[in-house]
Amino acid sequence: MKLGRDRLYWIPLVILVVWTIFPLLWGVSSSFKTYADIYRVPPSIIPPDPEIRAYQVVLTSRGFSTYVFNSTFLALTSSFIAVACSIFAAYGFARFKFRLSTALFLLILIPRIIPRASLIIPLFQMWASVGLLDSYPALIVSYTATAIPFNTMVLTGFFRGVPPALEDAASIDGATLWQRIRYIMIPMSIPAIITVSVMSLREAWNEFPFVLALTTSTRMRTLPYQLFMLRDAMGIEDWPVVLAFTVLTIAPILGFYIIFQKRVTSGLVSGAIK
Amino acid sequence: MAETTTMQVELKKLNRYKRLKKTIPYWLILPSLLFVVGVLWYSVLYGIGMSFFRIDLALPDNPFVGLENYFNLLVEERFIHSFQRSLIFVAGSVGLGFVLSFAFAHGLYKVKTFAGSFRGLALVPYLVSGVATAIMFRFLFSRTVGFVNQFLVTLGLERIEFLGEANWAMLVIILANTWFIVPFSTLILLGGMQALDPDLFEVALVEGASKLTILFRIIIPLIKPMIGISMIWLTFASFNMFDVVLPLTAGGPGRATEVLALYMYRLGFDFLRFSDGAVVMTIILLLNIITSVFYLRVFKSEV
Repeated sequence: MKLGRDRLYWIPLVILVVWTIFPLLWGVSSSFKTYADIYRVPPSIIPPDPEIRAYQVVLTSRGFSTYVFNSTFLALTSSFIAVACSIFAAYGFARFKFRLSTALFLLILIPRIIPRASLIIPLFQMWASVGLLDSYPALIVSYTATAIPFNTMVLTGFFRGVPPALEDAASIDGATLWQRIRYIMIPMSIPAIITVSVMSLREAWNEFPFVLALTTSTRMRTLPYQLFMLRDAMGIEDWPVVLAFTVLTIAPILGFYIIFQKRVTSGLVSGAIK
Repeated sequence: MAETTTMQVELKKLNRYKRLKKTIPYWLILPSLLFVVGVLWYSVLYGIGMSFFRIDLALPDNPFVGLENYFNLLVEERFIHSFQRSLIFVAGSVGLGFVLSFAFAHGLYKVKTFAGSFRGLALVPYLVSGVATAIMFRFLFSRTVGFVNQFLVTLGLERIEFLGEANWAMLVIILANTWFIVPFSTLILLGGMQALDPDLFEVALVEGASKLTILFRIIIPLIKPMIGISMIWLTFASFNMFDVVLPLTAGGPGRATEVLALYMYRLGFDFLRFSDGAVVMTIILLLNIITSVFYLRVFKSEV
C-alpha cells in the first residue's frame, strides 16, 4: 500500500549491493580474462575470451599446496583449541558464582579491544626469547589467544540464556560436569558454537600481521602472506594470476559462510551489541 | 538398610561435589586465562615496558631511560607526519563508514523483501581478508588495468595516477578500508534498530509524524549507544589498520599513506628500533582508550 514511499528505502540497498559486490565481481571476472584482455578499453565485466589459465598457474605453482596446508592447519587447530577453551570458560562464568568471577571475566574480555597489529613487536620478542619464531606453535598459540575473548563473550551470553533446569535434573541423576557440558550445554548451544567457530576460522584464515612478523621461511607462509608476497615476487604483475590467487583464498571462507549464513549473522548481531 | 547406605554414599558424593564445586569454575576458566594472560596481557605489558628501555641490538645492555624514547619520538618529523596521515585516514574512514553503515542498516531494517539475503550480502566484506581487500582495490585503481581508469578513458578523460599521488592514494586506502570495516558497524546499528519497539512508530505515525521525524526524533536518539559503539568500532579498526594498507600502498607514494600501524611495523621490523616501535604501540593503545572514552561520554544512553 505504501510501496511508492518505501521505494526510498531501496536506494541504500542498491548502493549496498553495488558497493559490496563490485570489487569482488570485477576481481573474479578479471581472473578469467587473458593477460591482454585485462588492458582492454572499454572494460567489460564479462571476459571476452574466458580462460582458466590463471587458476592453472596458481594451482600448479611451487609451494601453493604448502600455503593451503598451513592456512588450513593453523585455522583448524587454533579455532578448535579456542572454541574448546571458550566453551569451558563460558560454562564456568555462566553457571557458577565465585569470588573472582567478574574480575576474571574482564581479564579475559578486555584484550578483545587490543588491536592485533599493535602486538607484533612484543610478540616477536616473546617468541624469539623462547626460540619459537618461525614455528607452528607460536602461530597457533597466538591465534588461539586472540580468538578466545570474543568466543568467551558470545558463549557466556548464550549459556546464560539456556535454562539451568535440564542440567539440574541431569546432575540429580548423577551426571558429571563433563557430561552436563557435553550432552546438555553443547547440544543446546549449537547456533552460538557455530557462530564462534566460523568467526575463529575467519580470523585465523585471514590473519596477516602475526604471520608476517613471526615467520621468516617460505614454508611457513599462509595464503594471505603469499598473496602479499606475490607483489614482490613478480616483476610485471600477471594480474589474472594475482586475482585467481585472491579468489582462491576468499572462496573457502565464503563457502563456509554461505552454508551457515543465517546462524552466523543472527549470532553476530547479538554478539555485536553486547 | 541397603537403601540408607546408598543414600549416605549419595550424600557423601553430594558433599564432596559441593566442596569441589568451589574450585570447579577456576579449573574451567584456567585454559582460556592462560592463553589470554600469557599471550595478550603479557605482550601488551611487555610492550609498554619495552617503551621505557633503550633496546638496541648494538648495545650490550638495555638501560632504563624512562620517558626519553617518548620525548625523542614525539618530535620526530616522521612520527608527526605519520600521526597526521593517520588522523586523515581515520576521519575519512569513520565519516564515510558511518554514513554508509547507517544508510545500509536503515535500509536493511526497513525493507523486508529478501531481508535475509541482503543482510547476508552486507556481511560479505567482513569475511574477506584485509590482504585480499587491498589487492582488489589496488587492481580497481591501477593506472593501466584498473576499472576506474579504464572507465575514465572510455569517457574520453585522462587517466589518474591514483596510487602515485598522495591525496588520491589516501582516498583509495580510505575507500578500501571502509569497504572492509563497514559490515560490522552496519550489523551493530541494525542490531540496535531491531531492538526498538515497533509500536513506537505506529503511535508516531498515528500522531502524524513524518518519516524523517521518526528517523531523527525516534530512531537516532534511541539507538544512540549503538551509534557510539559503531563509531568506536570504526575508529578502532581504522586507527589500527595494517592489513589493508601495507599490501595496497606499502605506505606510498613516498610516505603519504604511512599510517601509525605501518610506521610501527617499519620501526620494529625494518629499522630494528624496537623501543620506538613499542612507544608507537603504547601511543596507539592510548589513542584507542581515549577515543572509546570520548564516544562513550558523547553517546551515553539518556534512558
